[in-house]
Amino acid sequence: MPQVRIIAKSFMDMVASLPASKLDKLYQNVFICEAILRSLPPLAKKYVLQLLYVDDAPITAKTLEEWVLADGSSKHKVAIDRLIQLRIFTETVDRKKEVTYKLNSTFQSNLQKHLKNGGVLPREAMPANVTARLPSLDELGQYALEQWERFLLHLISPSQTDARTSFSSSMMRVFQRGLLTQRDKEDPTLTEGGFQFLLMDTNAQLWYIIREYISNSEERGIDPADLISFLLELSFHVTGEAYNMNTLSDIQGIMIKDLADLGLVKLQQGRKESWFIPTKLATNLSVSLSDSSFRKQGFVVVETNFRMYAYSTSKVHCAILRFFAKVEYQLPNLIVGAITKESLYDAFKKGITADQIISFLQQNAHPRVAEKIPSVPENVTDQIRLWEADLNRVEMIPSHFYDEFPSRDVFEAACDYAREWSGLLWEDSKRMRLVVKAEIHMNMREFLRGQK
Amino acid sequence: MTSVQSKLYADDVSLVVVLLDANPFFWATSSISFSQFLSHVLAFLNSILLLNQLNQVVIIATGHNSCDCIYDSSSPPQTHSSENGALPALYAHLLQRLEEYSEGFPIRATPSTAPSEYVAIMNAIFSAQRSMVPIDSCYVGAHNSAFLQQASHITGGVYVKPQHTDGLFQYLVTVFATDLHSRSFLQLPRPAGVDFRASSVFGQAQGDASSAADRKRKAPET
Amino acid sequence: MRRRRGRLGLRAARSVREAEIGDRGGGASRVRGRMRRERRVRRKEGMERNQHSIPIDINSNPNQPTDSSCCVVLSNAVADHFRRRGGREYPYLNPEDWIAGKANMASGQVTKRVKYKSSVKDPGTPGRLLLTLEKLVFKPNNPNSASKLNMEFRYIKNHKYTKEGSNKAPMLNLTSSQGASYIFEFENYDDLQVCKECVGKALSKSVEAPKPADTSEVPSEQPTTEELLMRMNLLRENSELQKLHKRFVIDGILTEAEFWATRKKLLSGNSSRNTKQRVGLKSIMLSESRPAADGRTNKVTFNVTPEIVREIFAEKPAVRQAYLNLVPNKMTDRDFWTKYCRAEFIQGTQAAVAEAAEDEDLALFLKPDDILARETRQKIRCVDPTLDMEADQGDDYTHLPDHGIARDGSKDITDSQNEIYRRTLSQDLNRHAAVILEGTTVDDEQLRDTQSVAEALARSKQGHDSANEEAYANANQERLQRISQLMEIEDLRESDDHPLAPLSIKDPRDYFDSQQASVLKTSAGVETMKCSLSTREAYGSLRQSISHIKAAGLTDPIVTPEVALKVLSVLTQNISSTKFGLGKNPGESVLDRLPSAVKDELLYHWMSIQELLRHYWSSYPITTTYLYTKVKTMILFLIFIVAYNGKFKVDLLFCNLQHLQVSRLKDAMSKIDLQLQEMKESVQPDLRHQVTLLVRPMQQALDAAMQHYDADLQKRSARSGERPNGYA
Repeated sequence: MPQVRIIAKSFMDMVASLPASKLDKLYQNVFICEAILRSLPPLAKKYVLQLLYVDDAPITAKTLEEWVLADGSSKHKVAIDRLIQLRIFTETVDRKKEVTYKLNSTFQSNLQKHLKNGGVLPREAMPANVTARLPSLDELGQYALEQWERFLLHLISPSQTDARTSFSSSMMRVFQRGLLTQRDKEDPTLTEGGFQFLLMDTNAQLWYIIREYISNSEERGIDPADLISFLLELSFHVTGEAYNMNTLSDIQGIMIKDLADLGLVKLQQGRKESWFIPTKLATNLSVSLSDSSFRKQGFVVVETNFRMYAYSTSKVHCAILRFFAKVEYQLPNLIVGAITKESLYDAFKKGITADQIISFLQQNAHPRVAEKIPSVPENVTDQIRLWEADLNRVEMIPSHFYDEFPSRDVFEAACDYAREWSGLLWEDSKRMRLVVKAEIHMNMREFLRGQK
Repeated sequence: MTSVQSKLYADDVSLVVVLLDANPFFWATSSISFSQFLSHVLAFLNSILLLNQLNQVVIIATGHNSCDCIYDSSSPPQTHSSENGALPALYAHLLQRLEEYSEGFPIRATPSTAPSEYVAIMNAIFSAQRSMVPIDSCYVGAHNSAFLQQASHITGGVYVKPQHTDGLFQYLVTVFATDLHSRSFLQLPRPAGVDFRASSVFGQAQGDASSAADRKRKAPET
Repeated sequence: MRRRRGRLGLRAARSVREAEIGDRGGGASRVRGRMRRERRVRRKEGMERNQHSIPIDINSNPNQPTDSSCCVVLSNAVADHFRRRGGREYPYLNPEDWIAGKANMASGQVTKRVKYKSSVKDPGTPGRLLLTLEKLVFKPNNPNSASKLNMEFRYIKNHKYTKEGSNKAPMLNLTSSQGASYIFEFENYDDLQVCKECVGKALSKSVEAPKPADTSEVPSEQPTTEELLMRMNLLRENSELQKLHKRFVIDGILTEAEFWATRKKLLSGNSSRNTKQRVGLKSIMLSESRPAADGRTNKVTFNVTPEIVREIFAEKPAVRQAYLNLVPNKMTDRDFWTKYCRAEFIQGTQAAVAEAAEDEDLALFLKPDDILARETRQKIRCVDPTLDMEADQGDDYTHLPDHGIARDGSKDITDSQNEIYRRTLSQDLNRHAAVILEGTTVDDEQLRDTQSVAEALARSKQGHDSANEEAYANANQERLQRISQLMEIEDLRESDDHPLAPLSIKDPRDYFDSQQASVLKTSAGVETMKCSLSTREAYGSLRQSISHIKAAGLTDPIVTPEVALKVLSVLTQNISSTKFGLGKNPGESVLDRLPSAVKDELLYHWMSIQELLRHYWSSYPITTTYLYTKVKTMILFLIFIVAYNGKFKVDLLFCNLQHLQVSRLKDAMSKIDLQLQEMKESVQPDLRHQVTLLVRPMQQALDAAMQHYDADLQKRSARSGERPNGYA
């Protein structure tokens, strides 16, 4: 079974991995405090809120534990670990071995301020008379999606000319690391990870790219903390409002262009000023990944006869469907195909698993069928799994074959020896032949030499 | 009557409906001033919105003989601000509405017809029980409210009567800000002396409807 | 065994009472009241003779007879003590007296040194007299003496005693119902006094059950023996009920009738079982029996029995009607049946068509039954118009040729011509079934005479119809309403899918009467507030608060660190204290953590209080003296329970209870006091706080009742100033 290597680690994991000094610096920003609070496990959030106004006295671990039921002890531990990891709690153990926690004071005062003042926007939106007509929310959403698709296309088939982004080819190569393999002179092909990446929902894909972008930032001379801070700040802007570019620092000015390529913001130029408009992709950055309320509408209908209709104009969708289905017709807004044994075998060969295909079909089920249970016909899902199981019916074990033993005694001694090493796969005592796992071949050879 | 077992919630998203008691007769005689009380409650509401950007808050003010929905974080004018979690408008807007509400108090000559109200209230409680919406009650009046205790008990909510009203926010945040998901892992205050059969003998149902700020929580419709 | 005896005893008691009624020639309903009044008068006049009927308590719990009864005896003694001291029933209770009562109670019985005599002149056997509420026992000092005595009070009819100050020795004379007398001579008058009262209580226990002068509102009708049986069964099956009964009825807080009045449903539910079952009709289709053919000739024989006639008349109203019309004016009974059988025989054949054309009487039998058809139409009209009957039409195969079950196995020849003379088996079966379910009013004696059978059936049908007519009319009205409702096109209507189901209360009055107290309380509260604070002021201050916070913003900090820490630790402490011992089950309450005995005790008290409250609230509005007395009784008892909770909130209410039979209250009180004290002491100190918490709702419920009583009392006294109680 192929291992899932592409994990869209949460943003906060990256935040948590930052060095302490940088974390403390981050907490000076109110928005980061807020975003981080929201990213915490539920219990951790509650603990922060509970201690928000307890200033001077550290709280004993026992005080918090009192509230936890037996069922919740693991959750409690996770919450506390996370809080300590993010340096929101500082843990001290006194001489009596009593554990106490104290809230990070910068973090604390920022949140207190937020509660009292109700929060302030990171920057003022530009007045409507300066900006020209701004795109509507729908248009903006459309724009973001298009940008993101173009980026994806560029990512998976760099040779396609209509999918050009301003990302440098070196940057693209960074993104492609792990997703594509390129042999000499040949067109690059997707790796297993690449397929899995494509099957993920947009948010998860975005996280993956952003993560690569951040971890690569140091090579480009950008402080990852700055980048994280800016991205978080961006998530607190209002979708669809225009913000003046001149409020950005130089580094942010560079970054915003990259983010525009990813569809996080839309850049517009007026007569004098230029501005950026955050899209939903940007404002959703601090949303937890599992949240389904932002998932886009599904488009695939699978019938019990293995035919598949995908109502989509997206080339990426088409590309994804081609991985495991035979596309028969492609209309401007409809892709008609069939899931066949051959198409699936191709997919399995590329390392896509049946479960991935099924979950893709289920997650992207058209609203009409999504209400039904199951959204993908059972006979189809079962068959996909059976075909996959077919492939795994034969297990390959590298082994060695021995025959022409000089005597029955030697043969039997060899069998026993192989058994001892639990490497005996097959024996034919009549004709004195046996098969032994390759890993013990060397030992076996030594043993047989000794027998002579 | 047995209390409902709470539903299992997969996430910590909450819709908090706060019934805010704005009965002027109560507040005129209360030990804690209404502005102090509001201060705590507003901070609490903001902290609910702070916890999760999908959290929603609805505030219903109940007066002496009327009530009105005065704030809904999901209603269009607030959409932007609630999505951003920054709520410059929350306090101002809410207070504005509250003021309008208090000015528009209809003053009836006769005391309200209690039996019909009682049925409505009990209906609300039983519906909450059926739809598994816990009713939390935070009671700042002088005596304990058997009625609210009962309401909280049968709906699986929490009843708290703060001893230190100057720390009201702390009570609210410590107990009531606990989302339903976390409630399955946490022990919350449980009042003694509620679980008696047919407590409907209690006569003070109406008396208690005043002088309390009780809140219903409900999982958001997804 | 005891139970059985009790029941028999009851019969005896009733017969005795009736005998007395005969003696005095008084009205049955007044007897009890008069008896009591006479007794009181006699006592005041210092008469020595005291007459009693034999009291039998069918409710005495045979399993635990002694503890409750002793308690009653002794605390009654306390009551008498008051009576003697004040010359009247002075209702003020001194807690010390209760305790004194309790101390005596512990001994459980009265033992005095006496001489037992068979007659006044007899020197007597010295020994000890032991009295309980149930029985008296005399044990001679000399164990070999023959004059032992051990008898139950049920067999004692009268008791006499010598009066203090007379020259005679202090003696008590008990007369049995058989006429034998048992005389005990006491050492002094004090002993006599104690025993006299004891005997008096034992004898008067059931007689003293209240029967106030005005009986109009009193639920006191004598229960039938069946009902008594049922009550006993219920008590035996339901231990909780038994406990309540023991506490309130046996101890005299409620009368038997009052107790059961609130539980009519329990009784009625069982009584339906006992109604006499009528014999129904057999389900076999008698008239379906085929004629006997002898095989040689074409002659066939129909055998018509009275049962068959009844069935035919019941199932074919047209035949019945024809019989009434034709016989005996136009044809004989025999001709009629011959014709009927002929019609049955040729039914569904070609011949039928031909013969029907010639003979109109025969055609009558072949035609579909008009009366039936009319009835059916009427029934169909009553069917809910919204009911979708479409599916039913599929079940009707009669319109298909050769379908269904052919009669008598022969092939059903269908012909459009004789269509109208065809009856289907299913129709007949349905009709037959309907008749069987309806049952019959014709009994077997009537069966002999065909004419009377026909008439009886017609009559019953008519009566039924006229009774139904009104129902039909109503149903029709309803139907029209429904149709008009349905005529509305749903799409055009505002959607009324309320997410909440409205609460439907069968009898709102039933429900709200119990809420009356709170209504009074609330409105009173609002009024007083309004007095102290004008509406404008109140709203003004509210608005001021809002504008203050608008201007100044939230207080900063919202909570001071000290307070925050304090609250957190208080809450945490609360959590850790309730967490102790609690399992994972969130439904578990403090109650479950108490020792089971304490828990049961608490629940028992709670139930008792509920029972009392139910009686209390159901007495409102107070319209009669009886209800007034009852309410006072309840209040006294409730006050007592509150007093237990450490408040000793015995107020002036007592002063207004002159007309109350305080004694039976006090009895119950001192008893419950003892129990609760014991319970409280038995609870571990760490749980005591929680028990107090649990008791609080009880107190609150009681407080509400008492406040209502107070308010009501004040209203009453205000209305009738010259009479402080409203009832003099």
